[in-house]
Amino acid sequence: MDKAIIVDHLSKNFVVNEGGKGIKDTISNLFSKQNKKIVKAVKEISFMIQKGELVGFMGPNGAGKTTTMKMLSGLLYPTSGFISVLDFDPFLKSRDFLKQISLVMGQKNQLWWDLPVINSFEFSKAVYEIKDKDYKKNLDELVSLLGVSDLLNTPVRKLSLGQRMKMELIASLIYKPKVLFLDEPTIGLDLVAQQNLRDFIYEYNKKNEATILLTSHNMSDLSDLSRRVIIINEGELVFDGPLDEITLKFAQEKIIKATLSEEVDTKHISEIGTVKKYTFPYIYISVPRSTVTFAAAELLQKFPVIDLNIEELPIEDVVRKVFKGDLNK
Amino acid sequence: MKKYFSVFKISLAQEFVYKLNFIMWRLRNTIQILVFFFLWSSVFTGGSEVSYFGYTQSSIMAYTFLLVLIRSIVMSTKSTDVSGYVSNGELSNYLLKPINFFKYLLARDSSTKILNIIFSIIEILILYLILKPNLFIQTNMFQIFLFIISLVIACFIFFSIVMLANSAPFWVPEIGWGVQFLVTVIFVEFLSGAFFPLDVFPKPLFEFLKLTPFPYLVFIPIQIYLGNISLLENTKNILIGGLWAIILWQVMNKVWKKGLKIYEAVGR
Repeated sequence: MDKAIIVDHLSKNFVVNEGGKGIKDTISNLFSKQNKKIVKAVKEISFMIQKGELVGFMGPNGAGKTTTMKMLSGLLYPTSGFISVLDFDPFLKSRDFLKQISLVMGQKNQLWWDLPVINSFEFSKAVYEIKDKDYKKNLDELVSLLGVSDLLNTPVRKLSLGQRMKMELIASLIYKPKVLFLDEPTIGLDLVAQQNLRDFIYEYNKKNEATILLTSHNMSDLSDLSRRVIIINEGELVFDGPLDEITLKFAQEKIIKATLSEEVDTKHISEIGTVKKYTFPYIYISVPRSTVTFAAAELLQKFPVIDLNIEELPIEDVVRKVFKGDLNK
Repeated sequence: MKKYFSVFKISLAQEFVYKLNFIMWRLRNTIQILVFFFLWSSVFTGGSEVSYFGYTQSSIMAYTFLLVLIRSIVMSTKSTDVSGYVSNGELSNYLLKPINFFKYLLARDSSTKILNIIFSIIEILILYLILKPNLFIQTNMFQIFLFIISLVIACFIFFSIVMLANSAPFWVPEIGWGVQFLVTVIFVEFLSGAFFPLDVFPKPLFEFLKLTPFPYLVFIPIQIYLGNISLLENTKNILIGGLWAIILWQVMNKVWKKGLKIYEAVGR
């Protein structure tokens, strides 16, 4: 299969001026260079994405997700490393490259603020040289999908945040890009629109064989859409694989969920594992993955258990722990 | 080309949204011209034959009126916003589009320029009717042809200077407005002849200024229109101006190339 995106040992450093508090510090900052600090936003990450793949990109705030996406779309010049997107070097910003990609960001404003929204779309039509027929088709499709057909003649500044987000999306997708970098696309959208958008991204990926890299803090965005996820934290790649393997890799514990026939003293149960939650008749005990069968057996023997289930940690919990750095490789 | 025409059209539509803003801006220009006019007409109270610094009353009046037109052709621009785009990251929107950013800005500026030219012609007509000055009208077609060329050169010099000032925030994000002010007001307005004819300066200083790009923005085009100078001098002016336009355009391209490498695309 063809590779759409190749990233090899990619790094990006920023030079940050540490501003002082008072006027005195500000003035002394003007003359000294001592307060310059190098921040390593992305550290030697490597991955590959096949054509037509939909990959989730996760990480806590400030992990380097957006920085990576900005490098992939050619906005930022990498400090070191190699990037190829559709066989282009993004930073060269070739027209043919830019026509095939789209960077969609939650808070971007590419619409003409004072004019009716439709003008912005017609502007895109000219800039991306979209044929009349395709333009009409794509616009109708996007507009009905996001339910904004009655707002096309409203000036952009009069739209609400969510409505504007939808319009931004239309402007970013109307030229049918082959590679999509979606940076929190569902931010600011209501639940219905979020679901519509997820369905749309799924469809778009299938129908157009589009390659999509998607960041989101909304777990349902990721679990609904992408089988594969890449997790970065503090600029380093910590995981790259199927979503359900995150649990296997990072969660050293499993949860035993038991239904009891009579109340017990949690103190005794603590000898088996950590009691996470106890609301009679249900009890949740966390035990190490390696000893889970022993623990279950012991529980059945020593306590009045009617029913027993062994479960993986909820994926949200695992991801949260990975983000916090609680769990290591 | 169609892309840039579309930029032109949508920019024009955008201008019309801020009608009042535009009128205020024109008013500012008109007042500036009136100040210039009254200052110089008080100098020329001696009568129409008197000349100061080689200017007669009618040629200084022509200078004044031409100033209105030339300012609107050369100096009306939207590109001064770009320093803000660089420091707040809005530039990213333009970098992601399959469009040449400089051509995009030039297309956008053309819409502003055309609007400003139309208004300045109306203003000139009104001021002419009110003030009834003694004007010099150039009738030599060749001189007018040279004048138009000098204006095109002036537009490119101005654009390059503005864009160089706009690149400052790549290195010092907090600086945006300050540099723009220094460059457009101090250098461009003062040294270009937009405040007074540059030949009122002492000769050595004037000759030195003519080696800088600034006089080619306003002063030289007006001189060419007025026909005060020889053909040889005219040709020299066009050549030096043209050379500056090319040099500054190249420098601007180099500086922007460097700037984009350290551009941080912040805020989004």
